[in-house]
Amino acid sequence: MMIVSETLSALFSVLVFPGLAFCVICALAFEWLDRVIIARLQGRVGPPWYQPVADLIKLLAKEDILPTGASHTVGAVLPLLSLASVLTAALYVPVAGHVVSSFEGDLIVVLFLLSLPALAYFMAGWVSVGVYSVVGGSRSLLQYFSYEVPFLMALATPAILADSWRISAIVARQPTWGVFTMPLGFLLAVVGLIGKLKRDPFDIPKAASEVVAGPLTEYSGRKLALWHLTVDVQTVVGIMLLVNLFLGGDTSTFVPVAGWAAPLLFAAKALGILAALALASVLYARLRIDQLAQLGWRVLAPLALAQILVALWMVG
Amino acid sequence: MDRMTIPIGPQHPLLKEPMSFNVTVEGERVLEATMRLGYVHRGIEKLAERRTYIQVVHLVERICGICSHVHTTTFCDAVESLLGLEVPRRAQYIRALLCELERVHSHLLWLGVLAKNVGFDTVFMYSWRDREIVLDIMEGLSGGRVSHAVNMIGGVRIDLDDEHVRGILERFDTLERQVDRALVLVEHERTLRARTQGVGVLTPEDVRRYCVVGPTARASGVDVDMRRDAPRPPYDELDVNVILHDAGDVWARTLVRTQETRESLRLCRNLLANLPEGPTAARARRRVPAGEAVARSEAPRGEVFYYVRSDGSDTPARLKVRTPTLPTLATLPGQLDGVAFADVPVVLAGVDLCIACADR
Amino acid sequence: MARYSSPLLAELLRTLFGKRITVRYPYAPVELPEGYRGLVVADPDLCRGCGLCVRDCPADALELVKGENGAFQLILHPERCAYCGQCEMSCHFGSIRLTSAFKPGAATKEELTTVLVDHPADEPVEEDA
Repeated sequence: MMIVSETLSALFSVLVFPGLAFCVICALAFEWLDRVIIARLQGRVGPPWYQPVADLIKLLAKEDILPTGASHTVGAVLPLLSLASVLTAALYVPVAGHVVSSFEGDLIVVLFLLSLPALAYFMAGWVSVGVYSVVGGSRSLLQYFSYEVPFLMALATPAILADSWRISAIVARQPTWGVFTMPLGFLLAVVGLIGKLKRDPFDIPKAASEVVAGPLTEYSGRKLALWHLTVDVQTVVGIMLLVNLFLGGDTSTFVPVAGWAAPLLFAAKALGILAALALASVLYARLRIDQLAQLGWRVLAPLALAQILVALWMVG
Repeated sequence: MDRMTIPIGPQHPLLKEPMSFNVTVEGERVLEATMRLGYVHRGIEKLAERRTYIQVVHLVERICGICSHVHTTTFCDAVESLLGLEVPRRAQYIRALLCELERVHSHLLWLGVLAKNVGFDTVFMYSWRDREIVLDIMEGLSGGRVSHAVNMIGGVRIDLDDEHVRGILERFDTLERQVDRALVLVEHERTLRARTQGVGVLTPEDVRRYCVVGPTARASGVDVDMRRDAPRPPYDELDVNVILHDAGDVWARTLVRTQETRESLRLCRNLLANLPEGPTAARARRRVPAGEAVARSEAPRGEVFYYVRSDGSDTPARLKVRTPTLPTLATLPGQLDGVAFADVPVVLAGVDLCIACADR
Repeated sequence: MARYSSPLLAELLRTLFGKRITVRYPYAPVELPEGYRGLVVADPDLCRGCGLCVRDCPADALELVKGENGAFQLILHPERCAYCGQCEMSCHFGSIRLTSAFKPGAATKEELTTVLVDHPADEPVEEDA
């Protein structure tokens, strides 16, 4: 009996909450909220709540082709690989204290899994032979090198301060919210997240006015639906990771919060970061790839290094 | 890194109208660009030879959607000078009012297009939001947002009463406030300036060699503006400030156009305040006496030039239209040489293309 | 960063709490101004069948079919109509004009063609003896 109930609860954890179903529903909800916030900031009404679901269903109904010369097997594996890797990363990120599985070093595993989609994105551009895809793919690699290093260094800072590479432990051991002890790290993590998710102003690889849709230009139908879902789930996982590492998960510092309100606090923090991402995408024009590379290496990386040194000094 | 030829067009999210560029890049640097036009060629000049003058007025309106009124005004000007007709002053004021409103709407449209090409969707939404007010004013005046059909040979077919003028002036207050805020924003926005400064430079020598006109020429310091140089009433009574910049890059063109928008709004207010009384149209004969006539106007993109030759019947013998965008397009391969590939949309937006005008 | 983007931030906040500029058409009503140039109609009582509108139409959208004894039909082809209003300007009798209707959709082109005026043949005049 024990084994059956444990298995059932593990299955529930993986498949429903905080696993697959929760991630997908959250991803679609966050995409809708993101679009509505951006629309309202621009003076428009925004899509209705079922728009992301409708888009997915529409894509599933479309023809699924790739150009001649593109490798169909690789082209089909790549979106599955990206979606699988972000969903696996979601297993280790605590949602309001609940986590599917946790072990020492799971932060590193999560970061590794979250960077697989970037490589798959570049490969997708390479594999679908069209000119726009190849140019977009090479730009996405350049962008990856510009933001990934500051992002990883910024995310290493909470681990250094908490002396553990386990996300649940970092959340538990934070005396106060990370954003107060390492504000620079938080800022760099948010900027890095914008680059990782390829949102404005860092959406250079898929800049519609230059390379139609970048590496995903030739994708359509089910494969494109999987790519879109990957981006959405990556947004959710990235935001939740930031909430755990820098905003204290579901703990509250100043005002004591009842047990039942802790998930709501977690949700509020996640939505706050989403609003910040939406605001950032509305505020700036798209940078050129060389301007981004300069920004990444001349500004972000030294700041991240400085933040790590400060953290090391604080720990002693 | 080896060379790649990237086709831009005829269908591309960047282009509003079909035209074809083949851009050869090496890495991120553009080596050369070749251009093909003619996708929107409809043979308007030939079609005009088969239609009566009354029908041609509507035909030339459809050369371009953005500067439609200017085309009909210039054509009516040419025909009226062949007929020897004196257009009533009220009609001239109404024509000029719509010309300036069209300039405002065209520049706001252009600003949105530039912002979209740079990836700045917010400025695109804001400037087109303000453009909606202008379109609503034009719709209230003429019954259509894009094709106004206001001109007829001899005058205009609409009239403004006091209530109408008051309504327009009220909307002008909102419009001016919003446009001013949008323009201040554009002028101070660092990312926009970083993307457009130093890109797509045209020297004054190039401008003269290619006969470029309009805001593109004025941004390189070449002082040419038909409203001041070939004034037709009522521009001879108005004081038009010609705005010049000498950097010659896309940023300078942005500044010229934003300041011209403000100037046009001021001119509109002036026109509305001094609207003379009188009839709105003079009766015109259907048959036009034989002869040739030439008329020029300042369209939002530069000088538009009409040549009409009549053989005494009620259809034109020859209509020749020289639009400002064709020579500007000719400078594009030169401007694209050596820029980063990400700057290609910026350059294309900077010259304010209107392929429908260029192809006729 | 705020110093660089403060005019835009102010505008964003103003827009966020201001009125929306887009409407959920067709669930929300849209008002058309007076004088909007839409579908063409004609008043059969005023129409004389003179054909000025047909001659002046730039798009050849009007057609006058003459029958016997003064019968005629004025036919509109809305798919060719450019909504320019030249017919309204040309008509001396004030019969043909543009309304504000703007949705002339139909399934086939034949359904779209409308007979604007169907003037029957004149009554034969009784000769007095």
